[in-house]
Amino acid sequence: MDLGQLLSYIASGTVYTVGVTLIALPSGLLIGTLLALLYVYGGKSAARLMNLYSTVFRGIPPLVLLFILFFAVTKGINLSAFWAGSLSLGIVSSAYQMEIVRGALLSVSGDQLMAARSIGLSRLEAIRYVVLPQAVRLAIPPWSNEAAIIIKDSSLVYALGVPEILRRAQLIGASSQRYLLAYMSAAVIYFLLVFVTTRLLALFEKKLTIPSNP
Amino acid sequence: MKKRILLTVALVLSVALLVGCATEADSVLDKINQAGTVVVGTSADYPPYEYIDDAGAMTGFDIELMTEIVKRMGVELQWEDMPFDSLVAAVNSGKLDMSISCFNYDEERDLTVDFSEAYYTTEDAFVVSSAFTGSIVVPEDAANYKVGVQSGTVQDGWLTDNLVTPGLLSEANLSRYERVDQAALDLASGRIDVLMGDYVPVQALVAQNPDLLVVFHGELSTGPINIVLPEGDTALKAEVDRIIKELQAEGFIDQLAVKYFSE
Repeated sequence: MDLGQLLSYIASGTVYTVGVTLIALPSGLLIGTLLALLYVYGGKSAARLMNLYSTVFRGIPPLVLLFILFFAVTKGINLSAFWAGSLSLGIVSSAYQMEIVRGALLSVSGDQLMAARSIGLSRLEAIRYVVLPQAVRLAIPPWSNEAAIIIKDSSLVYALGVPEILRRAQLIGASSQRYLLAYMSAAVIYFLLVFVTTRLLALFEKKLTIPSNP
Repeated sequence: MKKRILLTVALVLSVALLVGCATEADSVLDKINQAGTVVVGTSADYPPYEYIDDAGAMTGFDIELMTEIVKRMGVELQWEDMPFDSLVAAVNSGKLDMSISCFNYDEERDLTVDFSEAYYTTEDAFVVSSAFTGSIVVPEDAANYKVGVQSGTVQDGWLTDNLVTPGLLSEANLSRYERVDQAALDLASGRIDVLMGDYVPVQALVAQNPDLLVVFHGELSTGPINIVLPEGDTALKAEVDRIIKELQAEGFIDQLAVKYFSE
């Protein structure tokens, strides 16, 4: 097997890696943001429940959670390994993203909420139009970190049978006996994915920065 | 008020879970025939039984055999590749309809899945590197060295039951690997002294790595290899067994053995 064939076989797993990430990250963001809003603005018992959610899903290794969610929870439901793995990763990520959004929300000064309420906005409107937009800017640096982590953690779904980059590197390594080459190729692809993503997010962050007085 | 809401949610969730568990009465064979597709699992990191060829396609003894079996079942084949020790759990939980991956019959596996008729027979082998200075005359001699094995295999079971449990081999000296080629790498580098595996796949490893050699082979933990089927599904087992017998009678399996197992 020549170098080109080996590389193209591994690279063809990229579509699965990107797919898993594109399902896990946004679903994690959606759930995480909703839960963070509940945590910060929902009252004491909601906060306690959210804290429990966060503690549980951040306290178990993602791979263990993937196995539990894939083999045990979806026993009756017919989900493919790809969807089960992606959604499970999304659930794991939602716990971390909830903490990120919660931190960002709390960083927006409480005066903002008070001021918004005092000019007549309802609590919901104040959160939606005043606090959240400011929180977005504050959330980008830690979120860019989480995005990089999820791109790399997407490799965990190899254990469920998704033919993504890592699994392909393993298979081609076993068949061709060219292990170092196979794993180095996988490493380069992952690195490029993470690099491009963090660069794009840095650009996005720059765009949202408020120009400060010189 | 809040307590009642929590209780209702808990009740609804538990009912949903129970309903999910209860619907397992239909035969998988009916499901396969209805869908027109059978989902078969394998672990394509095990030449020459299942591996990736130069073009990136799955090939091997097991792969070709299953392709023929499914052809005779009259449905389409959908392959799912995953690490070896995930396969049995996947068949048991319904993710796969069956699995072929050089499985030997094993009592522990039998608790959660069923097995087809044997379609071929394998042997065990002990492999060492050229730097090995010890001696292995009987299998139990391996207990004196650092041993490596693929986790979840019958060799793993044999080593645990016959060497570790009686105290001949300490757990610290037994290394379990996800794939047999990882174990071969460690063997070549000297991290382990002996590798116990299936005879034919280790011959393929030895052929690619002139540093390694087989010092013993025989039927210890292995013997007949079977297809893994869902627990309790007599209809599917009857169908698969029928086709296996057909193929054995026609000499198809022997032809495959010559194609994949000869030098």
